[in-house]
Amino acid sequence: MHELSLAQSIIEAVEARAEECGVERVRAVHLRVGEASGVLVDALQFAFEMLASLSPTLTGARLTIEITPHRAWCEPCARTFTVMDFVARCPTCGTWSTRILSGTELQILDMEVGADGEQGSQE
Amino acid sequence: MPRVTIARNILAANEEIAADVRRRLAAAGVRCINLMSGPGAGKTTLLERSVARLRGQLAVGVIEGDIETSLDAERIEAAGAQVVQINTRGACHLEAHMVRDALETLNLQRLDLLFIENIGNLVCPAAWDLGEDLRAVVVSTTEGDEKPAKYPQIFAAAQVLVLNKMDLLPYVDYDPERVCTQALAVNPGLQIFALSCRSGEGLDAWCDWLLAFTSKRSVTTARETPYIMGGAGS
Repeated sequence: MHELSLAQSIIEAVEARAEECGVERVRAVHLRVGEASGVLVDALQFAFEMLASLSPTLTGARLTIEITPHRAWCEPCARTFTVMDFVARCPTCGTWSTRILSGTELQILDMEVGADGEQGSQE
Repeated sequence: MPRVTIARNILAANEEIAADVRRRLAAAGVRCINLMSGPGAGKTTLLERSVARLRGQLAVGVIEGDIETSLDAERIEAAGAQVVQINTRGACHLEAHMVRDALETLNLQRLDLLFIENIGNLVCPAAWDLGEDLRAVVVSTTEGDEKPAKYPQIFAAAQVLVLNKMDLLPYVDYDPERVCTQALAVNPGLQIFALSCRSGEGLDAWCDWLLAFTSKRSVTTARETPYIMGGAGS
């Protein structure tokens, strides 16, 4: 959809946090992204790598993305279910009285930091 | 390797600006609708007709988003609205900072209702809060009747659905019932209008609703829909 814009926002938020904490080098950035958020993970990775290479703080930083499933809570059945194709209707009782629990997140969780000369952790 | 918490929504910077836009509009007593659709569904024509019909009853302003040209702004201005043109020069959606800047050139004290005509696109605009009170999606009978199933996010993020070009129904293979069923499956609370900007059919009901919406000060706001991206768990 608009991964370059998202990557730009991530870089700006990380640079601001790094400056606030006196961090010289960011080695990795961790995100939580919902499967229904519309984000193309590959495109976001690509855009992040490109923009990170232009940032002295983020050059070479890795981006790790935790994908959350699209889940909802059915009040009458008191149980959770997987939302298929954005239809948040309980598959058991058919009610629409449901609440989205996860799947639309676009969160920057945290970052791994280190001074120049240190190696980033490998996964 | 030490970890530093960030715990921030990726779109947080946009949301802060959108909140500022929302406050400024509320303070001026202006209601705001974010109008979204694919290219060619008829957003600009719907605005032209609405502005012309509401003249003398509502002071309408339009923030016109287009990738290039001011063609649409000229049409809207001719119909009698205050208009600001935003050209994104390639960007596929409007963001809140563009709307905030556009507000500077509008006289909010002289407006009752502000439309933001988003870039013609059924994907990207859904994720960006612009500070609107309500989101409306326009589809038309010439586009094919699977749009809500194929682009569920934008229908899930809206409160109103407009089916345009209903006058062409005898000439196209388009099942409005199917569109409504699909759209209501992803968003049971959608309010639906079927109309034709060309024939005028259905425009009275739409304009009556706009008058009622503008006079109300507390209806469901865009922030309360379940599918604002970055919403769940944050």
